[in-house]
Amino acid sequence: MSDAGPKLPDRAKRILGRLVDASARERILISFASLALALVVGAILLLASGAFATCGSPFLVFGGIEFCYNPIEVYRVMLNGAIGSPYSIGLTLRETTLLILAGVAVAVTFQAGIFNIGTQGQFVVGGLAGAALVQYTADILPANAVGGILLFVLGLAAAGVAGALYGALPGVLLAYYDANEVITTIMLNFIATAVAFTTVRSFLREGAAVQTALVPDYAVPPSIVFPEASSFSVLIFIPTLLIAFGAHYMLKNSPLGYNIRLSGEQPAAAKYSGVDAKRVIVRTFTLSGLIGGLTGGVFVFMVLGYWQPSVPQVGFDGITVSVLAANNPLGVIPAAALFGVIKSGAIALDLQLGVPRQLAGVLRGIIILFVAMPEFMRMIGRKFGLGETSATPAQERVTEENDD
Amino acid sequence: MIENTRLTRRRIGLLVIAAVAVLGVVASPYRTDIRNLFTVGFFNTALTLAVPITLAGVGGLYSEKSGVINIGIEGLLIAAAFTSVLVTGTTVSTVGADNAVWLGLLAAVVVSTLGALLFGVICIRYKADQIIAGLAIWFVFLGLAPFFSRVYWGQINSPTVATFDQIAIPVLSEIPWLGTLLFTNYPTTYLMLIIVPVAWYVLKFTSFGMWVRASGEHPEALDTAGISVNRVRYASIMISGALSGIGGAAMTLSTVGQFIGQGQTIVNGRGFIGIVAYLMGNYNPIGTFGAAALFAGLDALQVRLQQIGFDIAPELFGAIPYMAVIVVLVFFGYTRIPDRAGENYESGDD
Repeated sequence: MSDAGPKLPDRAKRILGRLVDASARERILISFASLALALVVGAILLLASGAFATCGSPFLVFGGIEFCYNPIEVYRVMLNGAIGSPYSIGLTLRETTLLILAGVAVAVTFQAGIFNIGTQGQFVVGGLAGAALVQYTADILPANAVGGILLFVLGLAAAGVAGALYGALPGVLLAYYDANEVITTIMLNFIATAVAFTTVRSFLREGAAVQTALVPDYAVPPSIVFPEASSFSVLIFIPTLLIAFGAHYMLKNSPLGYNIRLSGEQPAAAKYSGVDAKRVIVRTFTLSGLIGGLTGGVFVFMVLGYWQPSVPQVGFDGITVSVLAANNPLGVIPAAALFGVIKSGAIALDLQLGVPRQLAGVLRGIIILFVAMPEFMRMIGRKFGLGETSATPAQERVTEENDD
Repeated sequence: MIENTRLTRRRIGLLVIAAVAVLGVVASPYRTDIRNLFTVGFFNTALTLAVPITLAGVGGLYSEKSGVINIGIEGLLIAAAFTSVLVTGTTVSTVGADNAVWLGLLAAVVVSTLGALLFGVICIRYKADQIIAGLAIWFVFLGLAPFFSRVYWGQINSPTVATFDQIAIPVLSEIPWLGTLLFTNYPTTYLMLIIVPVAWYVLKFTSFGMWVRASGEHPEALDTAGISVNRVRYASIMISGALSGIGGAAMTLSTVGQFIGQGQTIVNGRGFIGIVAYLMGNYNPIGTFGAAALFAGLDALQVRLQQIGFDIAPELFGAIPYMAVIVVLVFFGYTRIPDRAGENYESGDD
């Protein structure tokens, strides 16, 4: 890195470091308050947008304007659709599984002070690699449980490796060419989509639709406990939780984890203590890509059963989940569960009330917006008498940093 | 020494681009095909496609020069593209197509500027981290636009609406070649052609331009001179909003005539490409336009190749501008950003 590090990460490191400084309790408060405020803003948006929608029976007519969406009803349907039956709980846990993985993938890099937006691309590439492996090896392997397990393991390995390689790329570009990782990862997301589409259309397509072959039944992880229709397997969920715990343990106890945190929290100290910043950047990115790729693999095996080019923006959701969890892999679990409720609730909402499921995307943005404003949250906190955070350490740090 | 490395890398970068271009033309076995490819129509298309990238870039440049890195520009383009179609579509029956497109453009500028103001308040008033706040603005509009599309039109892509007509400027448009390239264009393209030199002049030669630069480099000096740093930053951010407004509307009202809410919407990363354009253009509006024209040229090439029947995967070809962005970042990524960009400034007064 010679005498000057990549510009953005240094800055990012200070800021992320500052976020870590805020006490854990304050961070949890900020996260819950952000979620609550996002729901309030969402309710106002729903009320307002309901005036522009067309519906048979508006719930409220006021001043000649027909309001189609009742926010309370909307949230009730969402909650019911997310946790009202074993089937819907299965759907929510299915979302949660993907969100935990994507959230951990993002959190690992954010902890290092790297703004990695590329989990989406790694998700796409990983899923594609997993599906391609299924298509090419399903005929060779025996069509029984053993073959199924082999297919599953190989498919997930392919997904992880593809994701790791695709994740390493922006890491190398950042570490050795100072290419801003926010931009490179976003560009790589677009490229991933294009490559995936072309690959499926030209090489993997079997029928008329642009999609890969189905994962054979015997390779689909069995849904125990929950109804089969919810495409959720506890056998995947438990390892997912272990990955979150593992990432937490790795960050706390392994040399790489220590370097990641040090680079994120105190970049100057990291430099003086001889941390090889370039290597940390590339390794962090690779690790994150590995988990991002696995997310794609799980999506193919457990959720969709094949691969097609237009996939949900799980990688972007992972950013919200990670930010909500203060980039703590353990915090990612409850954050993913909460956001999972929103996501699967939104689908029920669409089907039952005709309110666009894109509401989940709206909330995704608003949540980050509020988490990004700790000052705003503290202000609100003080208003409501939660004043123990009145001396804002972040502010002092900013002035300090302005001096160098 | 670092300065030297950077300079060398930039020079190498420019050389590589030039070499690839020359080689491509000279060594190609399809020389006549290439002549068919680079028609004046091709360059005109490239110019039209450069509008959103250039305006997003020039706007982002002002914001970053003043000390606020605006990654949210992508979101502002989305907001503008959506609003322009919404307003044009709903007003066309009362005011007629000719006026409706202008109303659409105006509304896009207003909404995008308000979006930028929101970003400014979050960054300046509430001291949010600029990168996270920018991501948030992007995500908010990436979520809102398809949501509202479905609320209003019942589908994620809007129906088609009226669009601007190309205006041929009398006399000038008769000039061979140049007349077709520069003087037969959409109003939004003319706006860009005016805005770029004006933005360059303002930044370089006016006192406001000096304040913007000082606000990003030496805010204390500006403060001492009695100019409010934060006010200058708000103004610069809102400029980025207004320009993104025109850029977003140019996409929908000058060519496509529709808002596409699928995937990453019709904007599809052009805001981020704009950011790379001003990095490559070294924070110079004219350089930004040059870089944007390069990316737009690749985009136009991809369209043109398909038109003349090259049977290559169109989606992969569509990704060429994104790949070019990464290549450019490798060579030009290490531009010197304003000293105090990304930091909050607190005046000693309050």
